[in-house]
Amino acid sequence: MIRPRLVAAVAGREVRTLLRNRALLAVAAAFAAVVIGLGGASMGSPGGYVSLTYDLLLPVELLVPVLAFAIAFQSIRGDDERGTLSILRTYSVSRLEYVLGVFVGRALPAFVLVVAVLGAAGVVAGLGAPATSSFLATHSAGDTPLIYGRFVLFAGWYVLATVAFVLAASALARTDREALAAGVGVVVIVAFVADLALVALLTTGFVGDLIGVLVGLAPASAFRGLVLELAIRPAIAADPGVATGHPLVSALGLAGWTVAALATAAVAVWRPVER
Amino acid sequence: MAARSLPLTAFATVFVVAVVVLSATLVVPVGAADDVEPVPFGDTFTLGLTDETVRQTEAKGLSIPRVEVYYSAYEYVVGFNSVGSYVAEQGRTGHEQRFGQPVAAFVSDYAGANASLTDDGYLTAEGEVEFAPAEETVIVVDSRARLPSGPVAVPFSDRDDAAAFVDAYGGEIVPWTAVTERVQAREPASAATLRAAVENRSTWANDSVAATTARDRPTSIVVGEDAESLAAAVAAAPPNTTVELPPGTYHTDGLVVNKSLTIAGAGNATTIRGNGNGTVVTIAAPRTTLTDLRVDGVGDVGSRRSMLNTTQIEGLNWSKNVELAYGRGDAAVRFINAERSLVANVSIETPASGIVTLDSQGTVVRESTVAVAGGTQEGFMGLVAMYEPIVVEDTRFSGGRDGIYTHRADGIVVRDSEFTDHRFGIHEMYTSDSLLRNNTARDSNAGIFMMTRPSGNLLVGNDVRNSRVGISTAGSQSYFRGNVVVNNGRGFNVYSTQSLYTHNTVVGNDVGLRAGDALATNLLTANDIVGNEQAATASIGPLRVWTVGEQGNYWGPAPGSDTDGDGHYERAFRPTGPVDSRVQTTPGAWTLGRSPAVDLVRTVQETVPGLRATGVVDVAPRTTPARPETLAELRASGNVTEVAG
Repeated sequence: MIRPRLVAAVAGREVRTLLRNRALLAVAAAFAAVVIGLGGASMGSPGGYVSLTYDLLLPVELLVPVLAFAIAFQSIRGDDERGTLSILRTYSVSRLEYVLGVFVGRALPAFVLVVAVLGAAGVVAGLGAPATSSFLATHSAGDTPLIYGRFVLFAGWYVLATVAFVLAASALARTDREALAAGVGVVVIVAFVADLALVALLTTGFVGDLIGVLVGLAPASAFRGLVLELAIRPAIAADPGVATGHPLVSALGLAGWTVAALATAAVAVWRPVER
Repeated sequence: MAARSLPLTAFATVFVVAVVVLSATLVVPVGAADDVEPVPFGDTFTLGLTDETVRQTEAKGLSIPRVEVYYSAYEYVVGFNSVGSYVAEQGRTGHEQRFGQPVAAFVSDYAGANASLTDDGYLTAEGEVEFAPAEETVIVVDSRARLPSGPVAVPFSDRDDAAAFVDAYGGEIVPWTAVTERVQAREPASAATLRAAVENRSTWANDSVAATTARDRPTSIVVGEDAESLAAAVAAAPPNTTVELPPGTYHTDGLVVNKSLTIAGAGNATTIRGNGNGTVVTIAAPRTTLTDLRVDGVGDVGSRRSMLNTTQIEGLNWSKNVELAYGRGDAAVRFINAERSLVANVSIETPASGIVTLDSQGTVVRESTVAVAGGTQEGFMGLVAMYEPIVVEDTRFSGGRDGIYTHRADGIVVRDSEFTDHRFGIHEMYTSDSLLRNNTARDSNAGIFMMTRPSGNLLVGNDVRNSRVGISTAGSQSYFRGNVVVNNGRGFNVYSTQSLYTHNTVVGNDVGLRAGDALATNLLTANDIVGNEQAATASIGPLRVWTVGEQGNYWGPAPGSDTDGDGHYERAFRPTGPVDSRVQTTPGAWTLGRSPAVDLVRTVQETVPGLRATGVVDVAPRTTPARPETLAELRASGNVTEVAG
């Protein structure tokens, strides 16, 4: 039903659009500067990957939605604006193929950017560490690059989900201004509101023990939960005692939101053409 | 078409590769504790037992049960001399915050090592004692096994061997998991125990002074009237009488006093003068008093060790070697086995050492002056105390190498004395449980210098200024309270472990506090560190958190706020950080210090302090000084050009 060739064609066009957009390249550079800079803040200290993961968790959690917004908020709406959508509709490409193509074309570069920048931050943070005193025995206490690798993986996953969100917003918007507002709204919701709503729910006392599940349902918290539970927790023996989150729910949450957002976008992008 | 799809293909390829590679990290287990091996003990960061105890056990061929621990948040392997030291550190305030939890632990395994006790109950073993994983061992507690420092727990990997040991030497077998409850540990450096220790030593010193100054001996001989020479007078005088020296100069080729006498001059008008060779007065009898006179004409050999050849030195043990180097040189007055003796109101000039005490427990030196100058070795020690505690009070030392040098003089009390122009004012070697109180030191390389990992030393109310180092600390379970270090190169060398620093005033130094690379186990609270060029510096090692509970130190005004009004800023202060270190000196740093971005970076750096290396942080800095009156005095005296706050 989904024809990969068509999806790839749309995606290829999206990638070329992205690469031509100087403003976007500037945003990417700024993102890289901030994240690598934070990695550099710990340069010169024999810190380790647990620390670096902790260090970058909050910035990544906040900056990735912003990056996703910058990369995707104009995508579908822009095509609509320029009339491309109307043209596309006359081709045989389906709504889903189109949305998938846009997603792949936008999310892949975003993913690669995030992974590359975090990788660079990891390298930078490792630079300049003074040689540990060679006459004393050292150990890494489970502080391996594996931890950081997991973190980078989850960050990449998180960017896919947020791009999907912004795409949905872009598809739902009917004007440029709406697209902008919806995009910003998505960022704010993903980064702040979902968690605040959770806290509000907690205060009401209705959810109680369900917090682990609910945390997996808020995208930023799902990402954070995955990092804490699967990357950091195995490495530190100062165990918090209870699970920091449900990894399965978090993983399903992130994947679920991605699929739901893309489905929403596909439904909203245009009315099906009767043939 | 191929070229047009190239970017997408590239991204897709990178994506797939990244996902595959990164997903692999999920498959590989992270816990690295399994493959940890014990390391040679010498390669660990070592805690527990003093150097003195370790050297004694080595000299006697005894065996120390040891523990090696890998902590989750500390990259160096920590080694403990004795299981008790391990237990003590586990229970220390803030231990877990700093080190995390043990990832792996190894203990000396006495199974198959033929563990036995000497007649004195000291633990010995045959050959090298290997390390075994701690959780696979059982520990024999409360047996007769001991080290020179006290009872010791003995681990075995084999329960039968442990049972055999218990049959022979008593005790009880407990699993490793029970060590924290069952093994005795020296009490941690709590403020209450340390204050009690100060009182205890002060009382001992008061008693010693009272015992030595209460002697009232009748005059038996007046030199010049009843006897021709000082030597003749001493030979003729019956024990427990006074030999009187009227004003004048009394020459001697080396006076030896071997009965309990009082030798009393008429103050500065009476001089005992040596012939410029060797020691002037040797006191080899207990309860001897030397008072109200001057001593000079001392030989100029500070150390006799350099005059011996290697074969003569070879047979000596470590401690005798030290004695030869520092305790056998020429001195004005030398005490050997002369406990409870007294030097009072004596004024000494010497090109070598002033006073040397060997094995003279409870001897008191008070209200005297020791001036060291000249000589082939540029002078030696003002006072050398070896093997037994003595009391030094109200005495002025100047010149030479060290004002006071101690060697295994556990419990020595030095108080209300003055030190000027030395290498080190007070230099403690292999000396524990000493009390140094209300001394002042000026113009020296270091006011007080401690070495050789002692324990339980108490430094209270000392005042060091204009020296390269104020107070350099070492060892464990020590107490540094109410000291004032002003205008030095470095105020404190914080080289100790597990020690408490409180109510010290550190002002106007180039570096206020220098954190060494010892384990970051010190407790610092309620100290005032202001107006130093750099408040603190740190060498390698993990972040030191200089806050005890919720109470930190005063670093001057800081760009934070105290919204709950508990007298501590909510914002942490990083004296070694690039922004906070300039807050009080460089315009603009304050504004930068309040930046959210700086806050973010700081939060980032404080999250895992154990792994995040280097530097010092006070997470609850005081808003006001702990001792404002001391700071005000310093400001008023004009000694300190710039005291913030």
